[in-house]
Order: sequence, then structure tokens, then C-alpha cells
Amino acid sequence: MTSTSKLMVRVALTLVAFTVLARIPAGFDVGFKFDAALAVIWAFGLLSLVLLTGYVGQISLCQATFAGVGAYGAGMMVSSFHADYLVAVVVGVAAAFALGVVVGLPALRLRGITLAIVTLGIALVFDRYVFQDHAFEWFTGGSGGWRVGEANVFGLRMDSSAHLMAAYVVLLALFCLVALLMVNLHDSGAGRRFRAIRDSELAAATMGVDLTRYKLLAFGLSAAIAGLGGAFYPLVAGSVSPQPFWLFTSLQFAAIAVLMGVRYVPAAALGGVFMAVVPDVLTRFGHGTFLGHQYDISYDWFSIAVGVLLIIQLIVLPDGVWGDIRNRVHHAWAAATAIGTRKVKVA
Amino acid sequence: MTMLRVRDVTVRFGGIVALDNVSLDLNRGEILGLIGPNGAGKTTMFNCISGVIRPDGGSMYFDTHALTYAPPHVRARLGIARTFQNLQLWGSMTVEENLMTPMDALGRRNTFSDALYLPFSAYAERASIERARAILHVLDLTPYRRTKAGDLPAGIQRRVEIARALAMRPRLLLLDEPAAGLDAQETARLGELLRAVRERFHVSMLLVDHDMSLVMRVCDYVYVLDFGKMLAKGQPASIRNDPKVIAAYLGEESKKLAEDVETVAATRRDELPLLQVDDLAAGYGGLEVIRDVDLMVRPGEVVACIGANGAGKTTTLRAISGMIHPRAGRITFAGKKIAGASPEGIARLGLIHIPEGRGLFPTISVEDTLRLVSNTAGVEVDISAAFELFPRLRERGHQLVGTLSGGEQQMVALARAILSRPRLVMIDEMSQGLAPTVVRQLFEIIRVFREQGIAVLLVEQFVESALDVADRAYVFEHGTIGLSGSAAELRSDRKLVAGSYLGTAVDEAPMARANGNGNGHRIDPSLLELMSVRVPAKLKRALEQRAETEGRGAGALAVELLGKVDEQ
Repeated sequence: MTSTSKLMVRVALTLVAFTVLARIPAGFDVGFKFDAALAVIWAFGLLSLVLLTGYVGQISLCQATFAGVGAYGAGMMVSSFHADYLVAVVVGVAAAFALGVVVGLPALRLRGITLAIVTLGIALVFDRYVFQDHAFEWFTGGSGGWRVGEANVFGLRMDSSAHLMAAYVVLLALFCLVALLMVNLHDSGAGRRFRAIRDSELAAATMGVDLTRYKLLAFGLSAAIAGLGGAFYPLVAGSVSPQPFWLFTSLQFAAIAVLMGVRYVPAAALGGVFMAVVPDVLTRFGHGTFLGHQYDISYDWFSIAVGVLLIIQLIVLPDGVWGDIRNRVHHAWAAATAIGTRKVKVA
Repeated sequence: MTMLRVRDVTVRFGGIVALDNVSLDLNRGEILGLIGPNGAGKTTMFNCISGVIRPDGGSMYFDTHALTYAPPHVRARLGIARTFQNLQLWGSMTVEENLMTPMDALGRRNTFSDALYLPFSAYAERASIERARAILHVLDLTPYRRTKAGDLPAGIQRRVEIARALAMRPRLLLLDEPAAGLDAQETARLGELLRAVRERFHVSMLLVDHDMSLVMRVCDYVYVLDFGKMLAKGQPASIRNDPKVIAAYLGEESKKLAEDVETVAATRRDELPLLQVDDLAAGYGGLEVIRDVDLMVRPGEVVACIGANGAGKTTTLRAISGMIHPRAGRITFAGKKIAGASPEGIARLGLIHIPEGRGLFPTISVEDTLRLVSNTAGVEVDISAAFELFPRLRERGHQLVGTLSGGEQQMVALARAILSRPRLVMIDEMSQGLAPTVVRQLFEIIRVFREQGIAVLLVEQFVESALDVADRAYVFEHGTIGLSGSAAELRSDRKLVAGSYLGTAVDEAPMARANGNGNGHRIDPSLLELMSVRVPAKLKRALEQRAETEGRGAGALAVELLGKVDEQ
């Protein structure tokens, strides 16, 4: 298959996915519509890890901070400057990109566990001392955040509760676009340079890959992707608050990205749905009576479930839920099409 | 005309001086050899030139450019390419992608245009693919185009490393031990290849290797490093006869103890086997690497496994020691069935496996490494016994294993093995990447093992040395045993062992004769004939036994018997 026809197939698949996914939440109540929009925002966060960890092999435990910076940037533009939401998103993404490049600086020297600790520290600093601290309360609204109220998109007034569905569709369209670009990037020259850094930094540098440039670019782009999702949070939730972007969300991003398959773009979508919908389902239907027995499964169970699933997945599906299922389908397909033809052994 | 000038380069790691005021000159179109014992600073020199480490003093010039402060990717842009001793291919990428990455890293490509697949990127992409295919074709790598680099056997990965370096359109190619792990035939092919590459791509080269046959054959000029200092330089012929170089590096020719070996082998004929392997099959994932492997080691016997890269020698050892699960077959060790047993259980029975790369812990000191044996053995072990055997290790007792030279590390591995009082030691590629003098010392240790009654199963690329020390040998071919016999018999009966294994004298240009059977080895036609008839394992064993009682090679006997069948 040539690259062009591959591209056409990808575009077609993305369009089909978009059309199907855009309709799903329509029949549900406002709560689920909110979940759906939140799922896309989280999916952006996971997608940012697909780029950073899956492609370039860098570890980051502060992806939610990038999303938070996007959210605060966009929210501020809307509340304080009454800017058009489009401008707000651009500002949020730009702020996240800038922070990403700054966070990328230590990654030029550090790798592995040390880099994880540094990024964890950055997440902690933003969580405790920027988003929640009194010193920045004039800007961040402190631990309670602030209500965004009404926003303008192309001059149209959008209210978070009334236009939730529209916000969801716009978000989903953007996600599909970025996801498509990411898949393209993987097979392209730039993607190869990124993957070369992942497989062997030493070889990459001596083969002409400018490590400084591509590592910073990777961190910046990754932060921008997370920030793009975050920038829509004020529109979806109608408010900005530190809680969704705290340290623990960053850790959840890392855990769920690995759980679903950190090297695969569709796994990010899967993970986003998992992250947004499962806790809500637990809080809604997690208590009641079943066959005469009282049961109560609260939101706390979600974290435990993620932990347990992660352990099971690392043993059973080492390439992630999406990755391994995909590989198995590929193998089965290859085996099915190869029936009758003799198996040729490679050296 | 001088292309690369290195002046008074000094590199220190902590208190150790890795390079001490070293200077060298490389002329355009020249293949320059850099040799020396392990730890002499050859790889450090490479790292300096390619920009991986920055020297503490001195300067480097490439044409008119000062290199001293240029980062690696800038040097790559100037046309300096390198390969790595410990393979550094991008394992999760296909061979083709491995070649395309340096091409477009050096070209003017843009991340956003790439992600959008704009016409400019699409065009550059097609151009890269074309060029990658051309290089792969020249290096006989076309069949592996779409294979992931990490899945290839080491010998082919080395060739891909060279292909990847050539993809950069280099003007200077730094080759760090390209012949490591290659057998004599493959090394000869590599020599031809390097000369062809110089003609076709107009590349100058700096070559580090321990294989003197390669260095002497391809290099125009040779520098010798020893303990970070330049010991000698000159034409290959004069270097070979330089007394200083012989003392420091090449060493004296080893004495052959063939007759001695012969008598030992004869006395051991009747003993019950210590290790008996029948119909063994094993592999990784979807790939079956070995099948129908039958071999046997008697107590106190030294047995060598030889054969081309990817023939299944390492896999056999791994299956025996329990590192991978055998798929079929029986393995009996000291009367116990051990097929599928846990590796630690097998080790406790007295079967020690020293894997390729030695399996040491780099951040533990020599003494502690040896003391760990007490832990696994369950009784206190006196480590001074090991120091008597390896006096050099006593001086290095407190040093971390990772900071030792390759030869010393191998000594630690052997010392650790002998302390656990094994009955059989399996050693995989003991001499890989080691200087000739060190290799000779290590083979002497094998003799010590034999004197102490420890059986040894050896996987080795240095066939001559291996056959010198061994009682018997098995020749692996395409995942099974093609031939077996006493070492003396295999040494003398060269025609039987496919020309590729013992053929130190190589006649024809092998480049043109790539036969597409994977590694591109040349196989003796008679052996091929033998292999095409898939003899059942039982019959083969009977054949071998008969061959042994008659004192002839199994292959010869088989050919004779097959001939009789034809007559009937």
C-alpha cells in the first residue's frame, strides 16, 4: 500500500469514527453529555503521552498540569478579557506549549526515574503553589477556582449547560484531527526521528538528529496537545478549578496511558472514555441493593481498580489493552490470509 | 591529503586517564586501523571523534572545521558517520526506517509538513525510500527491508549498522568492531565489503577491531593504542612484526596441544554422559530456532559448539540451562531430567551457564560478586581460591565489575563459575570483543577447568582456538546439528565441515556470491545434500555412534551409506 492510499484510509476511518462518536451522547442526560466532553478532554491528555512517551520515550508525570495551564489560560481570557473563545484556546495552548518547552529543558540531561521525579515535582508545584496558593489567588481564584459564565464562540453566546453537545462535537472534531496528525507523524520523517530518540539516543545524536531541538519540540507539542484539551474545560464545565488538574490526575494519565497502550493513538480515546465514564457510572450506580444485599462501590474504587487492572495488564497484555488486541487481530488476520500458502521462515 | 587531524587528545574518567595526548591523522580515501588491548581507549577515541564525549584536552579538525566543541549531530552533518560496538540500531523500527532516519535527519525536513504529509514531504519520503533500497541492495540486505531491526540476528544487525552509517552519505566512516561475533567466512566477506564500499561510496574509514585478519587485510595504515597511549603506528606488515605490539597485544602463537587432547578424549569414551540432550527443540515467539538437537557431554570433557551466526548455538545453551523453555525433547543432567526445570534449580545441580555478555552485575565489586556464590551455594565459599587462579582479580578486588576491562570481566565470570564447584560450565562466546592475548589466557583457563574435572560446553566463533582446547565438537547448521566428531577429526577433516567454519583461507570475492540463505554463508555442497535429506534423529544418533566406533566422521559415513542405497 502506498503512503497516499494509506492516508486516504486513515482519513476515511477518522471520519467514520467522528460521525459515530458525535451521535452517541445525544440520547443521554446532561450528566453523561458532560462525561462525554470530559472524556475527550482526558483523551487529549492521554494523546499527549502517546507523543511524549509512546513516540519519543520520555517520561512525564505532569501532563495534567499542562492541561491545567491550558484551562486557566483560556478561562482567564474569557473571564477577564471577554475574548472570543477561539482566542482563549489559542492563548491556553500557547501557554501550555511554553511551559512544555521549559519542562523539556531538564529532560535534555535527565532520563528515566530522575526525569519522572522532576516532572512530578513540577506537577506538585503547580498543584499546590500556583493553582491553589493564596499568592496567586488574584489570578487563579485559589482552591475554589472561579465561574467562567458565558463565552462567545465566533460571536455566538454559548452557555455551558445549554450548549454542552455543541462543545462536545467541536472537541471531538479537534481530537479526531489531532489524532490523525499524530498517526501521520508516526510514519513520517519527523516521527522516525522521534522514535530514533526513544530507541537509542546515542545513535540518534550521531546520525544527525538534533536532540535538543527534538526533545524540546516533543515536550512543547505534547504540552500543547494536553493544553488544547484543557483549554476547553472552562467551556464544558463553566468553571475553572484546580481539582481536575491536580497531581493525582497526572499520575492517572500515566497509569491509564500504559494500561491502554502508550504507543497507540486510538488507545488514548479508549483511555479518555474509561477515565471519564467509569467513575461517573460508579458514583451513580455503585450503590443500591442487589439480590437483597446492600452494596456501595464509591468513586474511590476507581483508583484501586486502575491499579489492579494495571498489574493484570502488565502481565497479560504488556503492550497495553489496545496494543495487544490490535496485534492479536493482526496476527489472526495474517494467519487467516496465509492459509494454503507455505509459511516462509526468516533466518 | 589529511582529512581528520586529531592532536594531543586527552580524556580522563575520574582518576583514570583513558586517552593520554593521542594524535592521529587520517588521509582522504584511506582505511585506517586502530588496534590495541581491551581498555586501551579505542572506543573512547571513537566517542571523541563522533562527539559523544568531550575531550579534556587537545583538538580535532575535520577538513577545515574545528570539531572540539561541535555536538554530535553537527559532526554527522559534516559527514562523520559511525557504527557501534554494542549494536545501537533502533530496534522497534524496520531496517528500511533505520536507514531513512539519518537521511532525512540530515535533509531539510519539517515536522509539521511531515505530519500533514504535504507534497514536499511526500516527495522527500519517496526519495529516501529509493536511496534506502539502493543501499540495502548493495549490502545484500533487501530481504530484511521490512523486518524490525531488533528481531534480526547480531551478524545481520552489524551489517545494518554499516548500511545505516552509509545512508548518511558519510565522508568518514568510524567502524567500531564490525567483525565482533562474525565467523571467519563472514569476516572475510566484511573485508571485501569495506573495500567495495570505499570504491563505491568514496568513504574514508577508521576501523577498530580485534580480528587481525580483517585489520591486516583491509587497512592501509595501522595505529596501536595501549593504556591510552599511542604505542606504534605503521603499515600493517610492519605492525605485525613490531616486537612492542606483539608483547602488548598480539602475543605469541599458541602451542597446539592436539595430541594431549586426543589421549584425554580416548580415556573418556566409556563413561556415562553427564549431560544428554535428545531431540531438543526451542525458539522465541513464532520462530522455532532449533530442532532435533542431540548432544552429549561426558564428565570432565570439553565440548565445543561451532557454526555460523543464527545457527542455534546460543539458543541451545539457553534451553539447556532453563533460560528459555524447551518446546520438545529430553535433557538429562547427572541422571536427572531437567527439561523445563527452573534455571536456579538447574544451576544448583551444578550446571552453570555463562551467557553472552557474561551476566555480571556492573555496580557490584569483584569481591562481592564472588562472595555472592556462597549465597547461592548455601555454604561459605572461600573466594581466595579464585584469586589463586586469577591473580589479576586480587588487585581489582574492590573495583566495581562494570569498570573492569572486557577480559577481566570474563575472568570474574569464570571465577564465579568455578567457585560454585560446577560439574558442567556452559560458556557462550567467551572471546567476543577481547584482544588476542586475553583470549589466549582464557583458553588456558579452560584447560584448568578440564584438569579439575569440570566439563565445559563452549560456544565459540574462534573455531581454531575452540578446537584446540576441545575434546569433541558439534557443528550447528540452520538450527540443528549438522556434524559432530572429535576435535582432532574436525580439525583435520576440513572438507567435511562446511567451508564457512574453518575456512581461514578464503578464495573468492564473497560479495558476489550472496546466496540469500539468510546469513549469506557459503555451505559445502556435500553438507547441503546431507541436510536436504531430513534424517530422523534416532537414525542420526545411530549413525553417529557407528561413526564414533569406526572412528570416522558421521557425515562421511552418511554419504557412503546413502550411496549404497542408491546402488540398490
